Amino acid sequence: MQGHSTGKRRSGFLSRFGTAFFDGDIWVKLSVLFWGLGYFRRGQWVKGVLATLFQLVFIYFLLAFALPNLSMVGTLGKTEYASVYNPDTMKNEVNDYDDSFLILLFSVISVTALIAIAVVLMNIIIESYKLEIDMAQGKHINSFREDVKELFDSKFRLTLMFLPTLGIIIFTIIPLIFMIAIAFTNYDQSHMPPTKLFTWVGFENFLSLFRTIAGDGSSQSSAFGYSFVRVLAWTLIWAFFATFTNYFGGIILSLAINNPRTRLKKLWRTLFIIAIAVPQFVTLLLMRNFFGNLSIVNTICSNIGLTGLLQRWGWITTDYIPFMTNAAWTRPMIILINFWIGVPYLMLIATGVLMNVPQDLYESARIDGANKAQSFFKITMPFVFNVTGPYLVTSFIANINNFNVIYLLTNDYFEAGNLTMAAAKATEVDLLITWLYRLTNDYYNYRMASVIGILVFIVCIFFTLLAFNYTLGKGKEETFR
Amino acid sequence: MSRTSQNVTPKREKKPMTIQQKIALRKVPGDIVRHLILAALAFIWLIPIIWLLFTSFSADPGRNVLRFFPIEYSLNNYQQLLFNPGTVVNFPAWFKNTFIVAVFTCLISSMFVLMIAYTMSCMRFRGRRALMNFGVILGLFPGFLTMIAIYYTLKLMGLTNTHFGLILVYSGASGLGYLIAKGFFDTVPESMLQAARIDGASEATIFWKIILPMSRPIIVYTVISSFLTPWMDFVFANIIIKERIPQYYTVAMGLYRMLDKSSVNIYFAQFCAGGVIVAIPISILFVIMQKFYVESVAGGSVKG
Amino acid sequence: MADAFIENYASEANIVINIGAQSESQTKDTVLVDIAAAADVYYFADDQTRELVAAGALQPVQNADAVAAANAQGAVDAATVDGTLYAYPAMGGNGYFLYYNSNIISAEQAATWDGILKACNAAGVKATMEMTNAWYSYGFFAGAGYACALSDDGKTTTCDWNAEGGVNVLQAMLDIAANSAYINLTDGEFVSGAKEGTIAAGINGSWNAASIAEAFGDGYATAKLPTFTLNGEQVQMGSFDGYKFVGVNAMSENVGWAMRLAEWLTNEDNQVYLYEATNGAAVPANTNAAASEAVQANPVVAALAAQSQYATAQSLSVGGNYWTPANALGTIVVNGNPDGLELQAILDECVAGITALVE
Repeated sequence: MQGHSTGKRRSGFLSRFGTAFFDGDIWVKLSVLFWGLGYFRRGQWVKGVLATLFQLVFIYFLLAFALPNLSMVGTLGKTEYASVYNPDTMKNEVNDYDDSFLILLFSVISVTALIAIAVVLMNIIIESYKLEIDMAQGKHINSFREDVKELFDSKFRLTLMFLPTLGIIIFTIIPLIFMIAIAFTNYDQSHMPPTKLFTWVGFENFLSLFRTIAGDGSSQSSAFGYSFVRVLAWTLIWAFFATFTNYFGGIILSLAINNPRTRLKKLWRTLFIIAIAVPQFVTLLLMRNFFGNLSIVNTICSNIGLTGLLQRWGWITTDYIPFMTNAAWTRPMIILINFWIGVPYLMLIATGVLMNVPQDLYESARIDGANKAQSFFKITMPFVFNVTGPYLVTSFIANINNFNVIYLLTNDYFEAGNLTMAAAKATEVDLLITWLYRLTNDYYNYRMASVIGILVFIVCIFFTLLAFNYTLGKGKEETFR
Repeated sequence: MSRTSQNVTPKREKKPMTIQQKIALRKVPGDIVRHLILAALAFIWLIPIIWLLFTSFSADPGRNVLRFFPIEYSLNNYQQLLFNPGTVVNFPAWFKNTFIVAVFTCLISSMFVLMIAYTMSCMRFRGRRALMNFGVILGLFPGFLTMIAIYYTLKLMGLTNTHFGLILVYSGASGLGYLIAKGFFDTVPESMLQAARIDGASEATIFWKIILPMSRPIIVYTVISSFLTPWMDFVFANIIIKERIPQYYTVAMGLYRMLDKSSVNIYFAQFCAGGVIVAIPISILFVIMQKFYVESVAGGSVKG
Repeated sequence: MADAFIENYASEANIVINIGAQSESQTKDTVLVDIAAAADVYYFADDQTRELVAAGALQPVQNADAVAAANAQGAVDAATVDGTLYAYPAMGGNGYFLYYNSNIISAEQAATWDGILKACNAAGVKATMEMTNAWYSYGFFAGAGYACALSDDGKTTTCDWNAEGGVNVLQAMLDIAANSAYINLTDGEFVSGAKEGTIAAGINGSWNAASIAEAFGDGYATAKLPTFTLNGEQVQMGSFDGYKFVGVNAMSENVGWAMRLAEWLTNEDNQVYLYEATNGAAVPANTNAAASEAVQANPVVAALAAQSQYATAQSLSVGGNYWTPANALGTIVVNGNPDGLELQAILDECVAGITALVE
C-alpha cells in the first residue's frame, strides 16, 4: 500500500471514510455535494469530469427509477389491473396499474445500485482526502494516465474482479435478495401480477409452516408442515447415502483397478468412463424407461420368475416390480442409480489421489516392518481421507441439492401415495429442492417455494459450519507455497 | 510392492521357489477373482449404455419392452434425426444452438473463473477472506430459487427468448465457481511472483505473460467444464427460451421434450439416437478434461 | 389455416403469424410465467380455463352469442366462467373411453369390468387403466353417484367421496386392482403393450387412437366405459369429458386481430379441416361439423358419444387441489393398500386434501 500519512494501521473502510470526511479541508467536504470537486482542486481533471458525469447519471437514476419504485415498496402497489376492450381500435385499453412484482424487483435493484454508488462516493471522498494530504506534503499527484496504469498494477485486482463481480451481483445477488423478500409476501397463484397485486405478510408463511407440523389436514398449508419434515428427513438420508456409497464405491473400485497386479488398467478405466460420459439427463431418462412398470427389467424379472417369487413372499402386491412407482422400492432404486452414475467419477478422483501418495511413506513403513495391510490402513486411507475430506463435504451439500437425479427419474411417473403429502404437492421421494421446483413451476406458489429455499439454505449452512469446524486447523492454503 | 518375483537368470536345475515367488503364486487366484469381478462390474455398468446404443438402431420408433435387443434394425432414427428436421424434432438446429451457446459461455465463464481464482489466490488485500466466505455462502442457496427473478431481470434487459440471454445466465455468475482453479493457483510458488515483481513487471503482465501460459492444465479443465454446462442443462433453458419454437431449443430441451407423455411412443428411439450423437463429443471432451484435472490437482507445485 | 387467414384479411391489414409447438395440456405453464410475453393466440385444454381466467390471461369473447350457438353446449359451458365466455371451442372429445381387442374380448364382455378381466385372464393378457391418474379414477366415484363440484369461489372443490358407502367404491377399485389381469400403465406404456400384444384392453383418450388401431389391427374396437361391481350390482362408470379451446391472450398487443384469428381457427370449416388433418384425433366441437357423417362414423367419436351421457366436464367439476390427493388415492389402490390403512380413513384424508382451500 502506498504511504498513508495517518500511519500503517489497517483501518476499516468506514473509519477511513470518517477520517477523510472530518479531517479533510473544505474541498473534500464539499465533494460530497459535487463529486468532482476534490479532483478538480487537486489537478486531476479527467477524474473530476468522470466523477461529475457519474453524479449526473446518479441523479437521473434516482429520480426516474429508484424513487418511484422505492416509494411504493411499502405497499407493493395499490392499483390493480383493469382493461377495457375498444372495438374501434381493436385493442385493449389498460389503466395505469401497479405491478407488484416489478415494484419489488426494481426496488431491490435500486437498493443494490444505491449501495454500490454510496461505496463509490465514499471512495471518492477518501481519495480526495488522500490527494489533499499528498499535495500538502508535496508528493506527486498522479496524472490520469498514471492512474490508469495503476489499474493494471497495484490495483489490478480491481480490474480483474470487476466484470465477474458484476455478473455475480446481477445474476445471483439481486435475484436472491428478491426471492428472499418474496418469502415474506403472499405471492402465489391467487396473487399473480400483472393482473393481481401481492403484498407483505411478514413471517406468516414461516409460522404457518411450523405451526402446523402436527398436521390436521384441514387446510392446504397445514399439510406443508407435515410434508416439510418428511421431505427434509429424506433429503438428508438421501444425501448421506448418495455421498457415502459413491465415495466408498469409488475408492474400492479405484483400488481394485490400481492394484499393481491388475492388467489392462486403462481398459477398465475407459469402460467405466463411457458409462458416465453419456450426459446425465440422457441416462437418467433412459433409466426411468428401463425400470418402468412395463419395461425391459420388469419383463426380464417376470421371465426369470423373480416377480413371482417376490409376490409369494408378499414383498410386492402387483404383477410387476414397482421400481419407480412405490416409495419403498423407489428410494433404494434412486440411491442405486445414483451409485451407478457417480462411482466412475469418484473412481477417477480417487485414482488421481492414490497416484499422489508419497512413495517414501511406504518405503519407510516397509523398512519399519509394516506389512501390506498395515500400510494400507495407516497410510493410504488416512491420506485419501485427508485429501478428499473437503470434497466429501461439498459433495454432501451438492447432493442435498441434487435436482437432476430425482427429477428426471421420478417426475411425471412417480405419484405420491401419502395423502397428506400429496395435499402439499410433495412426493415421498422429493428432495426439498424438487418440491421447490414443482411448487414454482406447476403451482406458482412462489411464496412457499421461497420459504423452502431459505430453509434449505439454513440446512446447508448448518452442515457447512459443522464441516468447517471439523477441518479447522487442517490444510491451510499456504501449505504448498 | 510392484516388484514381482524376478527370475533373474534362467537356470538349468530346478531351484526351490523364492519367498517372493511363493507369495506371487498365492496371489494368482486373487488376481483372477479380481479381474473377473472387474469384468462383471464393467459389464453391469455398461448395460444401459448398450441398450441405448441398440435401441437407437431399432426400427421400432417406440419403446421396446419385451426384448432387450430390437427386433429389427435400421438407420432410420439417425436419418430422421439428422436429415429430416421437422416441427417437433429439429436436431441439427438444436445442436447448432447449443454449440454456439456453449462456445460463448465457455469463453466468458473461463475468463471470469480464472480472473477471480487468480485474484483470490495470488493477491493479498483487505477483505479477501471476507469475500471468499461470502462467496461460499452465496453458493449454498439453491439455484432454482432465483429462476423466476433471473427471468424478469433478463426481461428488463430485453434478453429473454434469446440465446444471448441464455449465455448470460450460464456465465454471469460463473465467477462463484472459482475454487478448483484457485486450488491450482495456490501451488504457484510465491518466490516466482516476487521475482517477477522485482523485475519490474506489473501485475497485469504477471497475469497474462507468466501465470496463464503455465496454467495449461487448469485452463483446459475450466474451458471444457464450462463448455459442457449448456449441453446438460434443461431447467434454465426451459425458462429463458419461452417461445415454443423448436428451432430455438438447445439439445437438452429438445431431447427432454421428446420424452413427454404424448410423444414418447413416437420418439423414443430417436431420443436414443440423439443421446448417442450428443454423447460422442461430450465423452471425448470429458475424458480430456479428466486428464487435465488429474494433472492439475496432482501436479503438485508448478514448475516455472 | 394460418395462411388462409392472412389471405382472407389481406385487404385489411398486414399480418404475420408465427407458429410455435406447445402441448395443450401444458399451455398454462408456458403462459402464466409471463403472460405479456406469451403467444397472442393459443390452444389449451379445458381444465386450465379457470386458472387462466383468474390470472387475467384470457380475453373475453366479444361475439359470444355467435360462438356459443355454433358449438356444442358442453364445450361452451366449460369455456364460460361467471357468465362470460372466455375461449373459442376448438375440439371436443377430450374424454376417455374403452379400447379393446375384439379378437380377445367380445363386445358383451367389454361391457363389464368382470367380463374384461375374465377374458384377459383366459387369454393370458392384461387390461389397463391408469388408476394413479385422478383423471381416470374419477369415473368410479362419479358412476356410483358421488360427485365433486366446484365451489363458489371457482377454485376450491367440494367432494363427498367419503360419505356413506364411499368405502364400497374404494373396495371395488381395490378388487379390480388386485385382479391379476389388471395392470396400471401410463398412456405410453399402454400403446407399447398393445403393440406387443400383452395388453388387450385399455381405458384411454382419443389421442392414441391411431397407434392403438394399428396395434390391434383388425381387432380394433371401441366402446363406452364398462360397468363395475358395487355391492353386487353393476354400476356404469362415469368419466370426464374434455374440450380444447383457443384462447386469446388478454395482454396481446393486437388483441382485436388475435380474436379474429381465434375465431377463424375455430370456425366450422377449419374444425373439419383439423379433424381430417389429424386423422380423426381432433374431434370437432362445432355442432355442424360434429354431426357430419364422416365424424359420426369414427369409432372414437361413437364411443365418446355413448359415454357422454355419463360424463361431466372436468373444468366444472374439480378445482386445483383435486389432482394430487386423488392421484395418491389411486397409488394406494394400485399398490394394494400396502400400509393396511382403514378404507374410511383413506377416503377422509383424500377428501380433506381435495377440498383444501386453494391459497
